[in-house]
Amino acid sequence: MAIYQIDIWGEMCPIPLIKTHRQLKKMSCGDILVLETEHSCTSRAIVLWAKENGHEIDEKEVSNGIWRLELTKRHD
Amino acid sequence: MKRGLEIFKGPWAYWVGAVILAILNILVLIVRQEPWGITNNIELWAKWLGSIVGLINSQDITLNQLMLFSGTYLNLGVILGAFWATLAASQARFRPSKNIKFVLSALAGGFLMGYGARLAYGCSIGLALNGIASSSLTGWLFIIALFIGSWLGSKILIRIFL
Amino acid sequence: MKEITSSQWKLNLGFSLFMLLLIVLLMQVSIQLALIFALSLALGFTLQRSRFCTASAFRDPILVGTTKLTQAFILLLAISIMGFAVVANGAEILKIPLKLNVFPLGIHTIIGGILFGIGMVLAGGCVSGVLTRIGEGFAMQMFALLGLLFGTAFGGYSSPYIRSIFGEFSGVFLPDIFGWLPSVAIQLLILLILWEVTRWWHKKQNGVG
Repeated sequence: MAIYQIDIWGEMCPIPLIKTHRQLKKMSCGDILVLETEHSCTSRAIVLWAKENGHEIDEKEVSNGIWRLELTKRHD
Repeated sequence: MKRGLEIFKGPWAYWVGAVILAILNILVLIVRQEPWGITNNIELWAKWLGSIVGLINSQDITLNQLMLFSGTYLNLGVILGAFWATLAASQARFRPSKNIKFVLSALAGGFLMGYGARLAYGCSIGLALNGIASSSLTGWLFIIALFIGSWLGSKILIRIFL
Repeated sequence: MKEITSSQWKLNLGFSLFMLLLIVLLMQVSIQLALIFALSLALGFTLQRSRFCTASAFRDPILVGTTKLTQAFILLLAISIMGFAVVANGAEILKIPLKLNVFPLGIHTIIGGILFGIGMVLAGGCVSGVLTRIGEGFAMQMFALLGLLFGTAFGGYSSPYIRSIFGEFSGVFLPDIFGWLPSVAIQLLILLILWEVTRWWHKKQNGVG
């Protein structure tokens, strides 16, 4: 179980989601990907996408308008 | 309490947003006697600003006229309303962009949008949404073109940023 | 966590009072403008809170395979079509002037649509999305608005010339051909088909479930 982090700060939709998608392909099951964004739509889109694809996701607003996402890969 | 907070703060489901937007859209039509549109008014502002700065020579619009157009209040209201929503959720902050690439992309994208909207007589709201809502064939044609355009745009976007 | 969720309430209170004042002031000028301003505040509020994004509705099915927003856009269209039909007929009966968005049709519609589509993906939001995100405080969309100002001004001056090259036809108002009820029914049917297509596409992209 490894923890990865990619930098999506200040990027607009859909780039963070595509980056997440590509990063997830490199990871193995059970690995955690940590993302931080200040973009409300990006956070929403990643949460929805992860849920639809059966990955575990935890969204937390860590500061005013900043979201921290922890995505656990559940399948290949 | 938790649920109440969610309604106040958290994101609403997309379909809830769609229903509320549709009702508001219809109310705007009733009050304004004209559907909601955005770029027509932006063009007028652009011409006025351009003549103030001296880029273009257009004397046919004054600030007083602009302040009496309902479109001005629609655009201003959307910006202030969105700010209000972020503030009510305690999420207001200045969000700088990552690097110059994003700024240039936004400038180019904005220009293309503005030009395309003026060429086709409307934007995604005035022509795609309310053109179709007005039962006009132009709106349907426009969303087909929009779909092709956004597909091309995605290709360009991936090539630039990834 | 508690402090975080309510830390901007003072600012919010001040801003709310300011907006109220603005609406009251506007009412002195014109009730209609004040109403429109209040409605557009609600529009902006809803656009932000529901994270509604037309650009995303058109882009995401192809790019990432999510169709929730596309379906929401279809729902928005369906309700708007029915509402507009009712309002238009009501206005006709009550003899109130009402303008609908029936615009001329031609090659320029397609070229404009494609340019707009490319632009909204590059700018990270369509025109309403740009306005919403300026309200959210994004620097990027402020530049997009600058681009929009240039684009609309340039388009406003040059598009009559371009339209005259390709030629344009007067807009087709569907109720003129089919009558109100059938044209609404046809459009709703098309939307229903599109809805089914998005469902099929979603299944295809994400496997079963």
